[in-house]
Amino acid sequence: MIACLTIPGLELKAALRRTPSLALRPAALAPEPQGEPLIGPVTAAAEAAGVQPGMRLGEALATCPSLALVEPDAAGAELAWEEIVHALEDAGFSVDPASLGVAYFETRGVERLYGGLEPALRRALAAVGTEWDARIGAAGRRFAALAAASVARPGQTVVVADDELPQFLAPLPLTLLPLERGRYEELEALGVRKLGQLAGLPGGAVAERLGPDGRRAWGLARGGTAARVRGRRPPAAVAASLEFPEAVGNELTLRRALAGLVETALARPERRDRFVRKVALAARLESGGSWRRTLTLREPSADPDRIRVALSPRLAELPGPVVELRLELVELTEPTGHQLELLAAGAEDRSRLRDGLRQVRASTGSGSVCTVVEVAPWSRVPESRALLVPKDE
Amino acid sequence: MVARSRIAGFAGAEGRVVARFNAPRAARVEANANGTPLEVNHRAVALVREEWRVVDRWWTEESVVRRYFEVVLESGENTVVFYDGASGGWYTQKGA
Repeated sequence: MIACLTIPGLELKAALRRTPSLALRPAALAPEPQGEPLIGPVTAAAEAAGVQPGMRLGEALATCPSLALVEPDAAGAELAWEEIVHALEDAGFSVDPASLGVAYFETRGVERLYGGLEPALRRALAAVGTEWDARIGAAGRRFAALAAASVARPGQTVVVADDELPQFLAPLPLTLLPLERGRYEELEALGVRKLGQLAGLPGGAVAERLGPDGRRAWGLARGGTAARVRGRRPPAAVAASLEFPEAVGNELTLRRALAGLVETALARPERRDRFVRKVALAARLESGGSWRRTLTLREPSADPDRIRVALSPRLAELPGPVVELRLELVELTEPTGHQLELLAAGAEDRSRLRDGLRQVRASTGSGSVCTVVEVAPWSRVPESRALLVPKDE
Repeated sequence: MVARSRIAGFAGAEGRVVARFNAPRAARVEANANGTPLEVNHRAVALVREEWRVVDRWWTEESVVRRYFEVVLESGENTVVFYDGASGGWYTQKGA
């Protein structure tokens, strides 16, 4: 069986952790700073007041004047999602996180461990916890599992047997299909509103009218193809963050801070001489929200300059002043991934210096060896020009 | 006056602290009626080499209003002290 765990509105739930009192009031996730003015997920109270996720901000406020807007916390949501996936992995499931709030896993390998399908699914829900209102659908195919999860209530599991699949999918709405908004309207105009109606049409006619996307949607409406779920490789947990004494909006300062973070993260012993394949840059904003960008390097590298140059342009995309900057080495290569020089230039000096620093640390304790990182060299206030960042390895 | 903030690791890293470089240190300064230092940490001032003011961040709640003096002590040592208008105290500072 393939199981699909969903957490609708995960971004809002993650953002509401900072202001839990809003959870019971009409509230919605505010639009992205530079995107279209469309609200994100909404609370149950907002939904009861007529506000729908994806509504235009003006329309939502007109519908519910007391609607509170919650600042998006993209980095917080990703971190929370990572914790959830990690909890599932800890419970023995090999998880494929398809998107934020949607993860698939196969139950076959763990059914014997937990004494059957239902206990295994209950174990998965318990691993996630009750805080997130997770639900699970299980079926023989991925799309059917997603559809089953979409009808499950919070904390509930819905299992669909293969022979019940057509009847189960038939009354479900088309919005479950991964189609562009215009396509739904086109299908609705043709009188097709349910998965069963689409599945009943001839495949060739659907492909001719709606193209390859339509053909794929038609295939999904009939249950989708039987493909196995491949669990992800857990990401590397190497990161460094820097909290500023006061909010920083100046790009030059941020670039300097980034350079310090790259050095710190690369120096972490957990990296174990592996090269970096994928990095994520996250920031906590002064406004209370957060920002996050991931980047896959053209080729794996452990060269701080190269990583810094690749990441620096992303700093220009920051929507506002930053109180904390964080760098995560998301994916690392295998330790033997690169051919290095036999004898690196200056290696002996560096090793002697490292030995000396290790000696100092051993005698005076952690945090006694620091690097000076310039953050605002032009400042008229001398102590604002540079920071002392502990260098533990 | 030393601002300390946290630098945290993602996994397994113990709490680490970032400190400001060249943070001011409280000093005991005797000054005359004009506010010019006569004694710094019980050592007499031989000469005031320079004096300047720094007014910054007045648009924030932590405005900086300082009167700096670069002085030569009788021992021959050069040092920089300032009077902090916000806290009403004297401090020495390197790198000013």
